Amino acid sequence: MMSSRRLLREAKVAWAIGVKDIRIYYASPPSLMFGILFPFSMFLSFVIGRNMPFAHAIPILIAQTLFFASSSIGPITIPLERRMQTFDRFLSAPVSLWTVLLGKTFAGFIYGIGISVIPIVIGAVFFGSQVSDPLALVVGMILSAFAFAAMGIMFASLPGQGPGQIMMPFNFVRIPLLFISGVFIPIKDLPYWGQTASMFSPLTHTIELVRAGLGGENFFGPLINVSVLTIYFTVFVFVGIRFHIINQKRE
Amino acid sequence: METKNKGDKNQPPGEHGKVEEKGIMNEAVKVENLTKFYGKLCAVDHINFKVEKGEIFGFLGPNGAGKTTTVRMLTGISIPTEGIAEIMGYDIQKQSVEAKELMGIVPDISNVYNDLSAWDNLTFTGKLYSMSKLDRENRARELLELFDLYQRRNEKVETYSRGMKRRICIAMALINRSSILFLDEPTSGLDVQSVLAIRNMIRKLNEDGLTIFLTTHNMEEASQMCDRVAIINMGKIVAIDSPEKLKRTIESLQSIEVAFEKITPTISDDLKGLPNVNDVIKQGDKFRLFTDDPSGILVELWDYVTTNDLKIITLNTQGPSLGDVFVKLTGIKPDERSVEKRGGMRRGMGGRGM
Repeated sequence: MMSSRRLLREAKVAWAIGVKDIRIYYASPPSLMFGILFPFSMFLSFVIGRNMPFAHAIPILIAQTLFFASSSIGPITIPLERRMQTFDRFLSAPVSLWTVLLGKTFAGFIYGIGISVIPIVIGAVFFGSQVSDPLALVVGMILSAFAFAAMGIMFASLPGQGPGQIMMPFNFVRIPLLFISGVFIPIKDLPYWGQTASMFSPLTHTIELVRAGLGGENFFGPLINVSVLTIYFTVFVFVGIRFHIINQKRE
Repeated sequence: METKNKGDKNQPPGEHGKVEEKGIMNEAVKVENLTKFYGKLCAVDHINFKVEKGEIFGFLGPNGAGKTTTVRMLTGISIPTEGIAEIMGYDIQKQSVEAKELMGIVPDISNVYNDLSAWDNLTFTGKLYSMSKLDRENRARELLELFDLYQRRNEKVETYSRGMKRRICIAMALINRSSILFLDEPTSGLDVQSVLAIRNMIRKLNEDGLTIFLTTHNMEEASQMCDRVAIINMGKIVAIDSPEKLKRTIESLQSIEVAFEKITPTISDDLKGLPNVNDVIKQGDKFRLFTDDPSGILVELWDYVTTNDLKIITLNTQGPSLGDVFVKLTGIKPDERSVEKRGGMRRGMGGRGM
């Protein structure tokens, strides 16, 4: 069992790793492309030409931004650091692998939260969006940013994958999630099998909580939303750790 | 297997003192049956060795012999398939945090953050070792001054030369006041000035009590710097001893190096034909004559020179070099080594007095 002193020490190292990633990678072209351009352009291509009030689309934009921005940092930083062998610095430092991956997750979390503030402000200033349930919005954003950041870390940790081989399979997972998460079709309008599938998508629960925060409907209920996102965060971190251990055994 | 024991000057400081309680004081590194498989390929095959505290231990071998894989296992970067490695008495797998607190690592490439300044690289590394702000900043300043980089501390490392990056990399490995420093090919690919500066630095660090684990394929470097060397080939350690003792194991490879003012087309064959000459190798403008009887061959060589109206401009008797030991133990020919890796390996080939 880790002592509280050791926990504090590990937390400080995780923070240092996160801050370092923020300084180095936030302004890098892949971060800007996958974290900002990608969600905004996808959103616009979805909204323009449809008979949907822009204010109703704001929760989708917030959730999508959180999803893409948070999950993009890990697949950029980890493969790059593995290629440059700077990741070896973490493996040879006197800290646990959990700490390293939490630090990396933290960088994705901050990025996701930071970028998703933009659509909130746009919604409030230009389309009159109002926050009716701040708790749902804040908890939803925090949990989602952590879960998606950990999701990115997990994919970035896939054994034997180089920097160029992460984003493609990752997008094969990310983009289909848009179709079952209530982005294009509201969950209540999906067939039963669609509703069941959407239950297992973390993005569904982000949209639900953000929508609830902005006064919209919630299909599954906040308790399920929070539980699913928490479970996903834990699973993603755990699987990411296992992948790294496999890498250490193979490399 | 004689080692130079530098006593207590490499005593781990502060909290590291608890190693003493375990009574395992003389071994900085202890390796038992360390093995690594990559799929079906056995990269490191049940190796065993110990490194004494305070010594410079050379880990010598051709490319692909298993040197870097061994270092990666010793430093916790890679997980062994089998076997145990202890650093200052701590098992690198089971007590990894304690073991890693005591070590510094300089990998084969300078894995610095190019987008950060030298100062930020050092202070970030200090954070990884949970050093206090004051301590890491003082230490960063001290190391940057020591490595003559303080004036450029705020510049991004991407603007640095290869030699400067190497120095930063070594400084980062020393930030935590480590007790043992792992250096993987520290001088490979550097200019002569940087090589000399880094070698002097390593000697100085060792004099100050740091145990050095030096991986190299440069035999000259190993011979000049190491108290003991282990030669690894195809994942197995084929010899461990001091460089001089290793050389003595192949005394039969004594030779005479001779250079003539003028080289005739038949001179190589003529020299091979001399009695007591086992072999002749042309090395640039010189010939190296291998013999069991160096003094006897001098008379024959003098007769040959007089008869053919030649003039000797250089004449040296030579014992076997560490390179010769390496060739004998690994079976890798000099030409193959040159092809394998330019730079360090080639420099190693020409090493004299090794």
